[in-house]
Amino acid sequence: MSTEARFAAGDWYAVVGEHATVLLPGSQRGRVAGLWDLADAGAGADALLDAVLTDGLSSLDHFALVAHGDDGTRLLVRGAPTALLSSADGEEIVSAAPGTTWAERVVTGVAGIRVTLTGDASAEHLLAPGLARVSVVEFGTPAASAEPEPGPVPVAVDEPEPVAEVEPSPQPEPVAVPDAPLSFGEPADDPTPTGDTPVVPDDWSDRDGQTRVGAPVPDFDRPPVPGQEIAPEVVSRPVAALVFSTGDVVAVDRTVLVGRAPEARRFASHDQPHVVTVPSPQQEISSTHLEIRPGAGVDHGSAIATDLGSTNGTVLALPGLDAEELKPGIAVSLVPGAVLDLGDGVTIQVTNP
Amino acid sequence: MKDVDLHHGASTDVGLVRKVNEDSYLVAPPVFVVADGMGGHSGGDVASRMVVEEFQRLADDYDPRRGAEQVADALGRAQARILDYGEAHRALQPGWHAGTTAVAAVLVDDEGVTKWLLVNLGDSRIYRIVDGRLEQVSVDHSVVQELVDAGQITPEEASVHPERHVITRALGSPGGIHPDFFLLPLGSVERLLLCSDGVTGMIDDAEIEEILESVADPRDAADRLVRAAVAAGGRDNATAVVVDVVGLVKDATYDSQRQLQSLESKLGGRL
Repeated sequence: MSTEARFAAGDWYAVVGEHATVLLPGSQRGRVAGLWDLADAGAGADALLDAVLTDGLSSLDHFALVAHGDDGTRLLVRGAPTALLSSADGEEIVSAAPGTTWAERVVTGVAGIRVTLTGDASAEHLLAPGLARVSVVEFGTPAASAEPEPGPVPVAVDEPEPVAEVEPSPQPEPVAVPDAPLSFGEPADDPTPTGDTPVVPDDWSDRDGQTRVGAPVPDFDRPPVPGQEIAPEVVSRPVAALVFSTGDVVAVDRTVLVGRAPEARRFASHDQPHVVTVPSPQQEISSTHLEIRPGAGVDHGSAIATDLGSTNGTVLALPGLDAEELKPGIAVSLVPGAVLDLGDGVTIQVTNP
Repeated sequence: MKDVDLHHGASTDVGLVRKVNEDSYLVAPPVFVVADGMGGHSGGDVASRMVVEEFQRLADDYDPRRGAEQVADALGRAQARILDYGEAHRALQPGWHAGTTAVAAVLVDDEGVTKWLLVNLGDSRIYRIVDGRLEQVSVDHSVVQELVDAGQITPEEASVHPERHVITRALGSPGGIHPDFFLLPLGSVERLLLCSDGVTGMIDDAEIEEILESVADPRDAADRLVRAAVAAGGRDNATAVVVDVVGLVKDATYDSQRQLQSLESKLGGRL
């Protein structure tokens, strides 16, 4: 689906990033600024959803999220918004059933999505990354009925109906609907008499926790390190700058890996670590020596460093404290003024971004 | 991106038990792929071929500076096609799905430095030879790998575990794909192997290492790996793609630092 988007003016907020768009009622002005920082920094659906939910769901009766990812388009609607999916096979309306937390779809091969917030205006204006006040948003090719006439210059839009802020009845946990069992052909068809064909188990989409029928678990795919919070994929702004003795200056707005020949492992395509190669003629620095990334949880807003089991270790000097060696695999919070010594004369000074 | 001379070899065999070879591979330097299809009745071979076709499209129009993005796009296109294909079949046969694993290796330009970008979905594997030793780079998306990670079984128990063929991520999964990417310096990969589990399920890592270490020509090495898997029982389709960066091939007087410096001087840049 083309990710081109159009909108009709209204009183909802559209926070439009490169990968994802969040739609919030006019009453949610307070959440918009923070979301825009994230969306502008290229945040994906998970990071944005995290931010939308930061202040809880009870004060957020209505919202919608549309994200274009590697796997297709993810659509999430809560409360009033309804979405119309158009594909070659026809149309499907997605809306949250009364009492459910939200409705969610991951769709591929869809030609267009029309999200109606209020009214039924035709979406004539091009929706570019940024903030907009909207009543309807369309992505991709709109349904034939909604194709806007190349009309005259837009006229003043009627004040749209205010969104009814209905307090929802107590919301039961949505019940996950078990997927229909997957089958890879009837046994008689299976050309593998031993049955050694790798099969996906009946509950395979639950196996790795990917299926979330409405359960708000916007988790990350990366395997967590025990005892450590998972870092957000994208942070709105760098939490620190690293000044290398080699002259490089690197912002900590994502995971930074430092070493003689660093290797990055098991990352998602939109979450590629920044790899910094430093010289080590004496081989004192390991190939992938040190990780520095934006902190999460109590460390939110600061950079944290982890020695990745390097051969010769990393020494951290915090201002006013004795220098000490990092314990492999244990993350340490960095403050401006901290200096990390990797050996072979390579140091990293931590400064404000 | 610097021109890097790659020597490669590929081999595949249906094995002794299967009637259909559901593995597909692509050798289109600097793009290499192995996919192991799943599903009877022309499901798996079609699914794995769709992956190869999408990576061929990538190779036809490849921009190494946008490697990760283009690989993710190719996987996304393959995923959409496989789902559509499954959808069409399900009209006739409810519950039917087609799926496939995928492992791919491409050279990318990471801020002017040539590196290997690797990607994995499922239980096909990527190995490398580094400092003369075999090392598995990819981490299987499989039930037994999760049990090993959780400390519940040992790797040895995993190889005979009844659920050893059950994978947790694949192209064709209705829950979406979540590929693992890896970025490795060119100099840290003396030899690269992409293979389906028809190889790794039949011969152990020690035998793979012995073949990769002893057979100089990558075409012969790929052949030897597949023939060894078939000779060991050939219970599954077996496919191997072996890639050497010329100049990084191990020799008897191997000195990684010197080799790297000599390669750097040949290529005129930092690896």
